[in-house]
Order: sequence, then C-alpha cells, then structure tokens
Amino acid sequence: MGRRKKIVEQCERLMDEPENIRNIAIAAHVDHGKTTLTDNLLAGAGMISDETAGEQLAMDTEEDEQERGITIDAANVSMTHEYDGTNHLVNLIDTPGHVDFGGDVTRAMRAVDGALVVVDAVEGAMPQTETVVRQALREGVKPALFINKVDRLISELQEGPEEMQKRLLGVINEVNELIRGMTDEMDDIDDWTVSVEDGTVGFGSALYKWGVSMPSMQRTGMDFGDIMELERNDERQELHERTPLSDVVLDMVCEHFPDPIEAQPRRIPRIWRGDDESDIAESMRLVDEDGEVVLMVTDIGVDPHAGEIAAGRVFSGTLEKGQDLYVSGTAGTNRVQSVGIYMGGEREEVEHVPAGNIAAVTGLKDAIAGSTVSSTEMTPFESIEHISEPVITKSVEAKNMDDLPKLIETLQQVAKEDPTIRIEINEDTGEHLISGQGELHLEVITQRIERNQGIPVNTGEPIVVYREAPTQESREVEGRSPNNHNRFYITVEPLGEDIVEKIKLGDVSMDMPEQERREALQEAGMDKDTSQNVEEIHNTNVFIDDTKGIQHLNETMELVNEGLQEALDDGPLAAEPVQGALIRLHDARLHEDAIHRGPAQVIPAVRQAVHNALIDAEIKLLEPIQDVRIDVPTEHMGAASGEIQGRRGRVDDMYQEGDLMVVEGIAPVDEMIGFSSDIRSATEGRASWNTENAGFRVLSDNMQREIITEIRERKGMKTELPEAVDYF
Amino acid sequence: MLTFVGLGLYDESSITVEGRDAIADADDGAVFAEFYTSHLVGADVADIEAYHGVEVDVRDRAGVEQEPAPIFDAAESGDAVFLTAGDTMISTTHVDLRLRAHERGIETRVIHAPTAESAASSLTGLQNYRFGKATTLPFEWAHGADVVPGSVTETIEDNRARGLHTLCYLDIKVGRGPEGADPDFEEYMSADYAAGLLAEAWDPDALGVVVARAGSPDPTVRADRLAALADADFGDPLHMLIVPGDLHHVEAEALRGLAGAPADLTTAE
Repeated sequence: MGRRKKIVEQCERLMDEPENIRNIAIAAHVDHGKTTLTDNLLAGAGMISDETAGEQLAMDTEEDEQERGITIDAANVSMTHEYDGTNHLVNLIDTPGHVDFGGDVTRAMRAVDGALVVVDAVEGAMPQTETVVRQALREGVKPALFINKVDRLISELQEGPEEMQKRLLGVINEVNELIRGMTDEMDDIDDWTVSVEDGTVGFGSALYKWGVSMPSMQRTGMDFGDIMELERNDERQELHERTPLSDVVLDMVCEHFPDPIEAQPRRIPRIWRGDDESDIAESMRLVDEDGEVVLMVTDIGVDPHAGEIAAGRVFSGTLEKGQDLYVSGTAGTNRVQSVGIYMGGEREEVEHVPAGNIAAVTGLKDAIAGSTVSSTEMTPFESIEHISEPVITKSVEAKNMDDLPKLIETLQQVAKEDPTIRIEINEDTGEHLISGQGELHLEVITQRIERNQGIPVNTGEPIVVYREAPTQESREVEGRSPNNHNRFYITVEPLGEDIVEKIKLGDVSMDMPEQERREALQEAGMDKDTSQNVEEIHNTNVFIDDTKGIQHLNETMELVNEGLQEALDDGPLAAEPVQGALIRLHDARLHEDAIHRGPAQVIPAVRQAVHNALIDAEIKLLEPIQDVRIDVPTEHMGAASGEIQGRRGRVDDMYQEGDLMVVEGIAPVDEMIGFSSDIRSATEGRASWNTENAGFRVLSDNMQREIITEIRERKGMKTELPEAVDYF
Repeated sequence: MLTFVGLGLYDESSITVEGRDAIADADDGAVFAEFYTSHLVGADVADIEAYHGVEVDVRDRAGVEQEPAPIFDAAESGDAVFLTAGDTMISTTHVDLRLRAHERGIETRVIHAPTAESAASSLTGLQNYRFGKATTLPFEWAHGADVVPGSVTETIEDNRARGLHTLCYLDIKVGRGPEGADPDFEEYMSADYAAGLLAEAWDPDALGVVVARAGSPDPTVRADRLAALADADFGDPLHMLIVPGDLHHVEAEALRGLAGAPADLTTAE
C-alpha cells in the first residue's frame, strides 16, 4: 500500500471523530510565506517529500500561480497529525493574500474554525493582515499567530536577542490590538488575544523549515539562544531536524483551535440566520452526522475528468453519493455523483463525508461558491460576497467568432467559481463585460481564459465601476404606466450609513426572520414604523411599502419590485448601480383587470417614478476609492506622496517604521490604474506598496457632468441628462 | 379629426358600413391600427389594406401609449382613423388616447362595431343584463402573482354571490414573450387551457361556457364542467370563457339547447 493511500485511509477513519478534527485556514498578507508554510505542513504529514517543501508550492495548483509566485485561489488539503498520543485530522484551506482576491478569503473563513495568521517578522502586520484577521473574527473563527522569516532577523539583520524580542513582541501587540478591537463587543467571545506563554504564538522560518513555540521549547529542550546559534552558523538542516516547523504549527493547531463540536454551537448563530429553535439548527450545533445534510459551498473548481467540483464545509448530516440535495437560490435538486476529500491538488473519492469535515462533491451542477446545499429546504447561510464589491470592469471579446459560445460558457463558469466576479453577457455585440476587485484580478482571469480554455481574446481598457446615490430627501413623485391606468407615488431619501453597513455585512437581509430584521434595522437607526414595512432589499437599497389596503397591490408587488430593481441597477445619471437609497411607496392606483396592470405597464411606471424621485433627491455619482500605503526609503518619500496627491488623492499620514518611511492615504481607483509602473519609476523601484478597496465616495461636483457624459457615451446612451438634473 | 373605428369580430368584412366610409375618408398615411389588445383572426393587415385600398400603419404598444405623436399630428392637420378589433373602447384602454387627443384640441369620434362582449350574450343565450364585472385571465408568466391572480377568482366569486355571470377574456400576447420583446411571438390563450387553470385554482366542477371564434362563419359554443372543458379542443382562436352565475330558466334552456350543457349543471332558479 502506497503512503498516500495509507494517509487517505487514516483520514477516512478520523472523519468520523469530530473531536479530533481541526478545520483551519492560513491567512496572511501577500508574500508573508503562507504557501511555503503550507508545504512544510504537507511534508511534515508525509504528503510531499521533505526536500521539495518550500519549493514545491503544492497548493499553487494553477500554472499562473506558480509563475507569479503568489496564491490566487483558495485550495484545500487534508492531512493527519499525531498530537498528545491521538491522531488528528487537519483540514486546511489555503487563502490568497493579495487584496484583489479578498472574496476567496471571506469564503474560506466560513468553512473553518481556526485561522493561523502568518506575519513576516521583518515587515510586521500589514493592511492585508488586518483585513484577513477582521474577516476571520467576523466569521467567529479563532486566531493563532505564526511569525515567519525569523531567520532574516538573525542572519540578515544581525539582530541581538533584545532587539529581536522587542520586534517580535511588537508584532504580537499589533495583532492583539486588532483582535481586541474586533472582539470587544462580541458577547460570544471571551479573550482571543494570542501570547507566547499560552502557546498561541509560534516563530520560525518556513523557508528553512524550523519553528519554535513555548510548548516546543519545553519538549525539545531548545531555547531561543540555541536556535540563534544554529541559524547563525548556517546549520539550518540540523535546526529543522531538531525542531521541525510542521510539528510546532500542527501541535499549536491541535491544541488551541476548537474542534467542530466546540466551534459549531458558537459559530452557527453567527453565520446562519435561520430559526435557531428548528431541528436543523440543533443538528448543526451538535455536528449531528445523522441529521439533515447541510453543506456550505466555499469554492467551485473544475477537474478535467470529473467536471465541476464543489468544495465546502459539512455542518450537519453525512454526504453520500446518490443523495438528492437542494441548492439555495435554484429550483429542484441536484444528485451527488461522488464525494471526496482533498489531498494537495488532488481529490480522493471516499464513501461518505460526515458533519464537521471539508468535502469535495461532484454533481452539484447548480451550486456556486457561496451556495447552501441541503437535504431539506432551509434558510441559506447569509450571502458572503457583500464585502467585496467589484470596482473595475473590462470588456472581453473572442478573437475568433467560432469561440463565442465557448467564451460565454467559460465566463459563466468563472463567475460560478468566484462570486466576486460579475459577468455581463452581451450576445448582440459579442463584447462581454467582466468586473472584479482590481486590475490584477481581471488580468489573471483573462489569462486563464486564454491559457486554460485556449480561447484567444481581445480585452478593452479597464474601466472603473461607479455608483449613484441620493444626497437629500425627494418630494413625492408620481409614476404613470404607459396606458395611464396605473399610478405609483414614490419618495426617495438617503439611507443611514449604519444601515448600509449592516446590509453590506449581511447583518440585515431578506433571508432572515422578519422580527430579527426589524430589530437589526431599528438598532441601526431606522424608525419602528418604517422597519415594519420593508418590502425588499436590493443591493444596499431598501424599499418600504407605506400603503395600506390597496386592492390588487399584493398581486402586483412582484412587478413593482422588478421595476424598482431595473431602476436601481441602472441609475438615472449614467446607468450605474444605485446604492444607499430608501425608497418609499406611499400610494398606488391600479387598474381593475390584471391584464391592464401587467409587466409592460407596471415596470416602466415604477422605474420612471423611482428615477424621477432619485433625481429630485439630487442623486450624484460616486467613485470607488482605495486606501494606499507606500513603504519607501526617506529620500523617495516626496516622490511617493506626490504620486498619491497627483492622482486626486489625499495623504493622511507619514511616519517612520524601521528604516523606511510609510506614506498612507487614499486615492480614486480610476486614477490608480497604471500606478504600479509610475510608482516604480518615481522611486527607482524602491517602494513597496499596497492598496485596498475602501468603498465609494461622492465625486466632486465639478467633475460630475464630465464623467457622467463620458460613461453615457461609452454605453451608447444619449449624452444629454434629464433636464431636472440641474444641481451640479 | 381622429376617428376611432371598430373593425368587428372576425375578418375584414366584420366592420360597419359607417366604419368603412370613415376609412375611405381618411387622409393618405393617416390610417393607424393596433392589434396588441385584440386581433382579427380571419384577416391580416394585408387583407384589411386590400379591402379598403389604403396603407395601414400598425402601432405596437409603445407606439400607441408612449409615442402617439404621429397619430395626433395626422389628426390635427386632417382626418385620421385609429382601428382596433372589436368595438374600439371595450376591453381596451384607448379612452386615454382619446383624452390626450382632446387635450391637444383634436376632435374625436367613435364608430362602433360588434364586440366580444355582445357576442358572448348573443351566442350563448346568457342575458346581457345578468353579467357582472368582466375579467381577464393572463398567462402565468405575464403577471407577478400566483398561477391565477386572486383578483380573477375574486371577481368570479363576487359576481356569483350576486347571481351574476362572469365573462373571462383570455390573454393575447403578440410581440412580447416570457423573455421580453420578441417580434415573432404570438400566443393566444385557449379556452381549454383557461378552463384548466380555473379548474385547478378554483372549482373543477363549476359550469363554464366556451365561446370560440365569435363573429366567424363557424363559431363554437359549449357548456360543461370546467374540468371537462379543460380536456376538450376548441380549434382556432380567439376564445372566451364565461362562468355563469344563477341561471334564468330561459338561459338554462339556451345552454342545454345551444351549448350542449349537461342537465344536472343547468338547474334554473
């Protein structure tokens, strides 16, 4: 029997013992060594050879990942580890560190109970570290810290013990501050700060495969002084053999991360909005392998032989081949073709996967990343992609007409695998739009289409995605249907920022029980009467039905919603999505007969009323902005801050960190296109920089008309704005 | 002058003599028509044009409701006619067009023609003063409610509570299908389909009366349980469905004699 087969068998046995399972993610800033660390763990578990760990990058399965040296998609792997005399099953999800791929991180966090936060000892906590820690805590995932690249402190920076201690404590404090800030107000979490004494902090070098923690020092008898000496004398192989990284980290995982039985009772109320007294809630809390099947899909991959593979966390029940399962948001059921677990880049089929595990399933053709899959119809897990709204769009066109059907199919597949990607198919022009998190995100996707599918494509210049939002309260506006027999009376006002934020985070949604939604809205500042009349939430807009007892309105409401959604998806200024609007229906007059209040009548009436009300509420264009951080030597500081200011940006802070200056500020995404080559030449390549999407900001009045006209021209709309738009 | 002219029920010859004269008197290029609210099954536009020797400008829904300017322009400067199937103001929404014409100071006139409503009485023997509110049964995809909108069954029940008959017009969709605008789309709800919808959503054992191709040389009239009507085939469109209320003894006799109604369903008051 091969070693690999043996491991699979071990895994299969362990799957049935939830108390010995740990579901974890490794999360870090780009280049802080997450993937190298993962390879260490795999080697330690005997899944790849020791020699290649650190170079193999087993989790970087896509060719472009290995080429770019960064991880793009979250991949999954299971391994076993003996701790305290008991064999444990560790299911690991790797997550990308680059900001453009934030959606994958959020989804990975939903499937796991513990997050190993990896921080570069030299660079310290970076913006993306902060983002991933936040994402983990928001999902109720417990953190532990591994400080990587300690070898550089010793060998490269030649730091003494005191200096080093100061630096490492600094990193720990930074991370703890983050954790404290996020968990202070969480009633279900006591103290999740990490410390060396508790053994929730590890140090080491993923590159040279050694690690150390308080418990490991006690076990191996090696103290920090011994380690520094061996590292300094270049005796790293010995260091690795005496105190291997994988043992240190996997011990930490087994000891400090919760098993599903401990984690699920706390996490289910945090990530699922259904009725907590239902049988299915009970079954998920208890990790009941005999309960109804509940699978939360976090990732869709494609296998050349097996087709689409849905990976995710089984929260309840036992997945088996042949089950007919519901997929949230779609009608009917899908039949499970096979179930399996991940071993590195490969999938191994197994008989069944019980609650508490990460599973790989084929046959779920309707599932997308984020779907809830279950054996009975249930409230889905709240949608998780809200946090990462796309900010940039590119057109994609097949070079050969013959490839057109294949391109459409591929684009739809891409959107299924990565819900932070939005696709707009235009079969008339053949010019499809693909929207994502940043220039790199779209570049990677288009390269995959060309390489993996062999479809040569032409792509357009990247275009920024704008938003439209009302800035004041409107008067009551009348919308008439084309036949004049139906009338709707509508007002619009800006929605409170707290409410918008709650909707974005999924804390308020139409999926949750009405009572709970009402309370959440009131907590965010909505008055009681309004919160009771919520009819629909579309993106970050709320529709209120303030009418009373209007005959036939209930059977027309779906069409009213359709009209509303059309109006909000294509705003009145430049057909960009509307955000942050509270729309109230005050009154309606409807024709007696259903046929005279059909879609052709109601939809345009509502759409027109909403648009006119938005204009009366002085709707304005918003542009996406990014937080920018540049680390640069002092002599290039002026050039670096100039690069931000010259882009309609604002420098908020400049301070010294180590031997570098840090420049922090914000700038519009539109101006940031092409930033990477400009900053390189402005600073002779000495700057390292990071950007993070920071939401949308109202464009200044003197630019509104110009940008709106530009967008309208690009979209082939008539360039004149409605006359009522006279407030810029 | 804008003259609304009803074309009658079936083909080019269903129009009144007065209506024919009005078309003959209209200016060149001032003959407009719409066929989205109803439709002449026995004649197409070319037949109508040939019969009257004019060119007809057929307007779609948007062309009438949103962009009626060409109609008004023609009517302002001369004599324009606007043609519809049936009688022009029954079951359609054209009173709005007439009011808008008045707003622009255009004189208007209405020339009547036979319409489905009168045919329903004439062919079945159900008496016209015993009809309550009419309703339309829409295709499921064409409205936002359940399979049968609550307002349809409510109308029938309200009428029956007062002993009145209900005339159900059946949906016509031309140029707009379930996926949106589609010039080739043409679908007429058949009476058996409609009876099936009502049998399922309301009462399979209630009496229904089908009127098919009213105004044509071969109209069909048939009365039976809704469930039985749902299994029948009534041939080419257009169809209507009547759900009778209480029956006067002459009405009961007429349904048995003219529509083959089963005796147990037609007990008179």
